[in-house]
This record gives sequence, C-alpha cells and structure tokens, in this order.
Amino acid sequence: MTDLLHFEDFHIGRRFECGPYHVTKEEIVEFAREFDPQPHHLDEEAAKKSLLGGLAASGWHTCAMTMRMFADSMIPLAAARGGIGSPEGRWLKPVRPGDVLRAEAEVVEARPSGSKPFGTVTFACKVFNQKEQVALILMTPIIAARGAP
Amino acid sequence: MNPQYWEEVEIGLRRELGTYTFTEEEIIRFARKYDPQPFHIDPEAAKHSIFGGIIASGWHTVAIWMKLAIADRANSQGKSPLLRAGVSPGYEDMRWLKPVRPGMTLRYSSETAGKVELRSRTDFAILLTSNEAHDENGELVFRFTGKGLVQRRPKA
Repeated sequence: MTDLLHFEDFHIGRRFECGPYHVTKEEIVEFAREFDPQPHHLDEEAAKKSLLGGLAASGWHTCAMTMRMFADSMIPLAAARGGIGSPEGRWLKPVRPGDVLRAEAEVVEARPSGSKPFGTVTFACKVFNQKEQVALILMTPIIAARGAP
Repeated sequence: MNPQYWEEVEIGLRRELGTYTFTEEEIIRFARKYDPQPFHIDPEAAKHSIFGGIIASGWHTVAIWMKLAIADRANSQGKSPLLRAGVSPGYEDMRWLKPVRPGMTLRYSSETAGKVELRSRTDFAILLTSNEAHDENGELVFRFTGKGLVQRRPKA
C-alpha cells in the first residue's frame, strides 16, 4: 500500500496529534483491580491520604491509554511493525477521573536498520490533560517498513 | 531486620515475583482496549504479520509485572525491595526483547539496583529496581528500570 507512511516519511520534527481519551473512575478502578491494586488507585478516601492526594490512574494505565491514542491516530497511518520498548517514561501529573487526555507524538530520531527493509523511528510523546498540563512524557521507538526504492 | 527507610535498603536484593501464563483470550482482551493493532487482536491477520501469530502488547507484559510485584509486596512481610514505594516518577530503559505468545509462561523478578536523592524533597528518595521477565528457556524477554519513591529516615 503506497498511501501508508513509511520509514522515509518520518522526518525529524514531524508531529502527530493523538486522542482525545476520556478518563473515567470506573476504568481507573477496573485497570487497578486487575494490574495495580494499590489504595491510591482504588479508593478515594485512602487516595486522599496518599502522596497523590486523591484517586489517580495507575501510571501503567496512563501508558496504556497513551498507547490506545497512538494506535487509533498514528499507527493506522504507518507501515508499522510493532514497538521495541520505551527508553524513558515520566509520570509528571496524576491522571484523575474526568480528565480528558490528548497526546502529541514528535519524531526525534529515525535510524535505518542496515540492510534490512525497515528502520526505527523514535517518538517523544507528550500527554496533556484538559488543563494543558503535561501528565506523561514517554519515548517510544517503533519499527517502520521502508518504502519502495 | 526488614528495611524501614530508603537509607536501609540494600542494593542487589532480588525478589522472584513468580510466573504468569499468558492466554490468547487475555492477550486479545487487553489489546482490544489499549493496543488494537492487528498482530495483538486478530489471529488471522497476526499469522500473516512478521510475528507469525498473536503476540501480547508490550504494555500488557509490563502490567503483569506490576500485578506480580504488588502481590509479592503483600506476601513478603516487608522484605520486598519495593517496600511501600507505591508511587513512581517514571521508568527507564524498557525493552520488549522477544514476542510474548499465547501459552508462554514468564518468570518475573525485581532487584534493587540503585538509589538517587531527590532535589525537590528530603522526606522521600528514589529506589531504582532492575526488573526482568524470562521465558521457559531462561531467555530474557522483557526488562526495565523502575523508580519508586521510598520514605527517608526522619532527621533526628
């Protein structure tokens, strides 16, 4: 398919807008019950007394929500072949029930893979809440197929 | 004696967090919600992808680490390297080294790896943990460096 974005299309500085993602209390609690059952993700009263000062999503949940925004907005445009990890993630603000998140993913590195028909494109992804505060910064490299020569 | 404070945590303390077997149903359920790429949610499409079959979202692999780490902390009676570090400022160097396929059983671990003081506050500091998952053949499938906030010993 020629209309997909290939490795060559991801020049440094190219930006993709992703989202929005509406965060609900039900989903915060559901994710936390299954994967991160700590009081500050499950119980409003206990959360008030915690370092987070109120009920907040598990950081891994915020990463998963970010992945969903990425998968809905950017990945379908690209000849993507999966991720290989995340060199860095920083949880800067708690993500609360009722928050509306959006993400900006900017290409910060593009490395061809020697003789192979793909390359690694690294995005710096900033996740904003509705107050335009950055809640999460994460780096994510994806493998993108090269276009026809 | 179990460590109470950041100052008392030893580096190189390792916890085996237990094993987890990924099912296809669960891999698809997680990915439908958070990572709906064809090779995570559609067995037919996945067959024709470079992975040759369904694989788990990397974020699912991480979420299971968290699940096992919390269970270990509850079971360890204070010996877990995670201590009461329930809040984290982030992570580093997360790598998904091998695909996680349905039926695979991963063995997860966590080891204290370093300590970092905070500039912004003196009542908490960061404990670095090196976290891994190995497959049945002992091959490293997944790793990352975790950062947990741990309480410091109050100044006398």
